[in-house]
Amino acid sequence: MRDETEEDIEQIARELRVPVAVSRSLDARVMNAVRNLPRHAGFGLWSRLITPRTVTVTPLVWGMMAAAVAAFAVLGAMHAGQDLHRAAKPIASALFPAPKAADRSQRVQFVLVAPDAKKVAVVGDFNGWDASHAGYQAQHRGGGVWSVTAPVPLGHHRYSFVVDDSVWVADPTAPRVTDYDYGMPNSAIVVQEQK
Amino acid sequence: MEAGSSDAVVVARVLRGDVEAFRGLVERYRDRYARYAFHMLGNREDAEEALQDAFVRAYRSLTRCEDPERFGAWLFRILVNRCRTLGARRGRRARTFVVDEVALLGAAEEHPAGATAWREEIDRALQQLRGDQREAFLLKYVEEMGYDEMSQLTGVGVSALKMRVMRACERLRELLSEVYDA
Repeated sequence: MRDETEEDIEQIARELRVPVAVSRSLDARVMNAVRNLPRHAGFGLWSRLITPRTVTVTPLVWGMMAAAVAAFAVLGAMHAGQDLHRAAKPIASALFPAPKAADRSQRVQFVLVAPDAKKVAVVGDFNGWDASHAGYQAQHRGGGVWSVTAPVPLGHHRYSFVVDDSVWVADPTAPRVTDYDYGMPNSAIVVQEQK
Repeated sequence: MEAGSSDAVVVARVLRGDVEAFRGLVERYRDRYARYAFHMLGNREDAEEALQDAFVRAYRSLTRCEDPERFGAWLFRILVNRCRTLGARRGRRARTFVVDEVALLGAAEEHPAGATAWREEIDRALQQLRGDQREAFLLKYVEEMGYDEMSQLTGVGVSALKMRVMRACERLRELLSEVYDA
């Protein structure tokens, strides 16, 4: 009796499980609507300024900060007796150096040990966090070691590994940055010009 | 969107300011969830309105999606709520069931005349169920969810859901009895 009862309902359900088509214009309508909404900008300048975040700073960065303070002090002392116009110029030069670091890059090797992975990619603010970016797909080098060498602009960056298109893994060998906007584990890197 | 990109990866791109990446999520879930919206609301216009509302609300609240890997389940919850709201609004309007809407169903396969008539009867009967019973029936038998999952999604207790499904089944049998007998 129960089987018979279930069977009639199952017959109805089978009919109702057939896919339903919707107008192709739905996509455009949705996209038009979301384009008119405020953009999520977890990494926009304003968001960076107002969002609290924890940053692990390497000794290298501390050194750079100390050097910048020292340079500022030396420049100030050198020009203490001069007029404001003459003093401002070198200080401004020191604070805003002419060459744009973002225009230059260095090749950086990213390495992750992931024995069970089928695919590993590097995402970061330098490639638009795009896990499908062709230049940042790691190759399996054997023994579970994945690596890719790719260009990264000079400066400070955040990045992560994406394993099998789904799992975000911070670089275990790099300082960790907690992104409060999203909660994904990210790593920090400072790329400097090679001497 | 790359076919292999997970929801979490796409959500991350959108949250980082890539609005266009959201299209990938729309393409991924639009057809999958259209079926539920259509059966809940009974016509294409309302179903598309519910879907559009759900996607836009999901975009707006994306930072509140606690598990981006399960974006689809989160979106479905939003859609279920939108269907409730629109269904209540629709309940205040005169109900008309347009045969053309039936043609939308099963766009992927041809139905002979008899099968189409049978299908129309099912849709007609479905629309005569109470909204909460139709919702429970669709989640259980069409979306093939378990009661615990349904309870999480709807916020309704398992025993109440079982009762709604049972009542829905009884009512469908009653409404379709003539067709069965024919």
